[in-house]
Amino acid sequence: MSATSWLARRIAGAAVVWLLISFLAFSLGALAPGDPAEVMLLRRTGDPPSEVEVQTLRHQLGLDRPFVTRYAAWLSSAAHGDFGESYRTGQPVLDELRERFPATLALALSALAVGLVIAVPLGIVSAAVPDSAVDHGARLLSLAGVSIPSYWLGYVLMLLFAVTLGVLPVSGSGGISHLILPALTLGLGSAAGVTRLLRANLLDELGADYVRTARAKGLSGWRVLTRHALRNALNPVVTVSALRFGRLLGEAVIVETVFAWPGVGRWMVESIYDRDYPAIQGFVLYIATVFIIINVTVDLSYRALDPRVRLGSSLSSHK
Amino acid sequence: MTPHHAARRCGLGLLVLIGCNTGTTRGERRRLVIAVGEDQYPLALNRERLGRYPLNAGICEPLVRLARDFTVAPALATHWERREPNTVRFFLGHGISFSDGTPLNASSVAYTLADAARKHTDFSFLSDSSVRVIDDTTLDVRPARVNRRLADQLVHPTYGIIEPGSDPARRPICTGPFRLAGYVPNDHLTVVANERFRGHRAKTDTVVFRFIPDETTRILALRSHQVDVVSDVGRSNARAVERVPGLRVVTAPPGAVLVMYMNLNGTAPYAQLRDSSLRRAVAAAIDRRTLVQSVIGGGSTGLVTTVNPPSVLGAYAPLVHGVPYDPAAAKRALHGRRRPLTLIVQPGTIDRAVVDYVQAQLARVGIDVSVEQLDAAAFETRVNSGAFDLDLEVPNQNDANPAFLLALRWYSKSSTRSAAFTHGSPRFDTLVQLALAANTDDDARKAAAEAMHQLVDVEVGTVPLAGMSRVYAMSDRVRGFMPHPSQLNQDWSTVWLTP
Repeated sequence: MSATSWLARRIAGAAVVWLLISFLAFSLGALAPGDPAEVMLLRRTGDPPSEVEVQTLRHQLGLDRPFVTRYAAWLSSAAHGDFGESYRTGQPVLDELRERFPATLALALSALAVGLVIAVPLGIVSAAVPDSAVDHGARLLSLAGVSIPSYWLGYVLMLLFAVTLGVLPVSGSGGISHLILPALTLGLGSAAGVTRLLRANLLDELGADYVRTARAKGLSGWRVLTRHALRNALNPVVTVSALRFGRLLGEAVIVETVFAWPGVGRWMVESIYDRDYPAIQGFVLYIATVFIIINVTVDLSYRALDPRVRLGSSLSSHK
Repeated sequence: MTPHHAARRCGLGLLVLIGCNTGTTRGERRRLVIAVGEDQYPLALNRERLGRYPLNAGICEPLVRLARDFTVAPALATHWERREPNTVRFFLGHGISFSDGTPLNASSVAYTLADAARKHTDFSFLSDSSVRVIDDTTLDVRPARVNRRLADQLVHPTYGIIEPGSDPARRPICTGPFRLAGYVPNDHLTVVANERFRGHRAKTDTVVFRFIPDETTRILALRSHQVDVVSDVGRSNARAVERVPGLRVVTAPPGAVLVMYMNLNGTAPYAQLRDSSLRRAVAAAIDRRTLVQSVIGGGSTGLVTTVNPPSVLGAYAPLVHGVPYDPAAAKRALHGRRRPLTLIVQPGTIDRAVVDYVQAQLARVGIDVSVEQLDAAAFETRVNSGAFDLDLEVPNQNDANPAFLLALRWYSKSSTRSAAFTHGSPRFDTLVQLALAANTDDDARKAAAEAMHQLVDVEVGTVPLAGMSRVYAMSDRVRGFMPHPSQLNQDWSTVWLTP
């Protein structure tokens, strides 16, 4: 299969997934209890609206039309970037997302970077000297990283770096210093999983025939590890990191609230509390779009990472 | 910041990358940082009340203000008089100007009050034609419906007067001790001293309100000296702060009440409390003294009225007695049958220990309470649709009207939807109407006390459990803080930091 046709199929698949998600997101708002028109009027004025006001707004919003018609209209608007207006703020949902998403993206990317910076060296060292004290230490740290809830870790980091050492701000935004603690909180959890995965993959690769051959040819252990085994062991790490990125966007919900970080996660929590369905629907679709784009990009990156991979075929068949 | 702190902060290599943090430093003694909860200004309803409500930053002043004893005191108006049938005439002080130098006059006041009516932020029955300007410093305010408690209600910061033409959502220009210097949504709001304020100049040049939704994070920000004051501290955190050297806890005078609402008019399966004997059993089953002394602790008081402090009712407060603690009587009223009830609570507003205590007390007499902790929206939906038996809340007394909460939460003609399920009898309604239409403050207090007696003692339509107070945590360096029982009316212009 050519790269072009593979890409076309991949994009078509992504479009189907996107449509399914959009349907689920829309259904969430449509099936939820409560009348959106009534909620919107109540949020805007603070007073219970009259029946006439509710019916007028229902008509204006098209809520008196059949479900499928409404879904088609919403999807058409969403495809053009119009997710409607937030009940809570009265502002266009897309504007709110645009305003806040960069903060979440910065946080998730920083957390991913933190995770990789910690996980890759730790995974390599663990695999290079298995069952050594370093390996056991790394595995223990990984286990702790996976087990510790992010909000608790956040408080511990605040206590250490802000209260005890006084070197970092507890919360808020405004500079790189504000990003460090939330990024560490998210990134440490991410590092734990990647460390374990990389260690396991590297140990597999180090037992493979081509590694034995390389050693027989006189290559140093370090060179075999970094130039041959590591490169092959990294493919699953890239996949997991990409998936991890999506999870980081989700986990940011808690971390942003704890650190008062002004991203979409915190905004989402507030929207859920207030049953702000346009905001929730917009968020779900926006994040889904980002996630789908990342996944396609990651699939493409396999080829760059491992020339043996042919697009459209399974990785294992080309090993 | 001491040299030792500075060394710790700046001595680490990490700081080469990140610089020193953003706490209050030695060079910024005249900058006070206050940690508050969630930023409510992005909400559509609050957007045009920036700096006034729900966070009162001292930018604007209403015509009258709420004194710490819950009486009405002069603010922009030096005095006022009731003019029949339903009008109050206000006389503005002379020589008052907005922070940009524009003089304040009666037309400015008319603009703000009409704006509140148009934008539905008014709760005093004002319309956009309620204000008649008599001359530059005199105006008449006539609500659209009979409301002789108008002056009591205009103390609310939502009625802070803004300069006509200034943008209330971005740059409100007012007359208060501070003026707005900056606002970053969900991060902070900064005010600086208003040099044109006619009273005492604010003792701090700059006050920064930092929005930190998480209470534990607010406390850690205080412990790291990055904020100087934390508002709304829970009881357990308050106890922890008291043990930290250099920090202290300040409890405001009583201004709120822990109250158990009952669904008096519900339909099945939430119709059980239509039975007055069951309501009386609920009220008699809870030992409120132990609740105050052992469960809630510091800052709470025993209370039988639905208003806190009871002095708002003047000499008539003793008219309300409360149902005495009598678990044996409660058991007898149930005739040996166990009764299941649903209690809804919004986490974060009520300590879990209080909920557990109430549940245990009711279980002892044979009432099995199922507790449902709900988020804000679910809670609102349940309360407004009558899907509950019991509901624990902590409403505040934020104006001088003795019938404020009675009219808001238990009056059948209240605009609050939950009142459809919590409202009292026609007799109670009549007494509330009397309080709202009373010609004198004394008559209003008497009618409000009689209405409360009817609701609490006769109908047992609600159970006041404890008087509550706002709790603040702050650095020992904070001086001049005079806590107001109504947090909305807290004045920050008297506060400063010692070196």
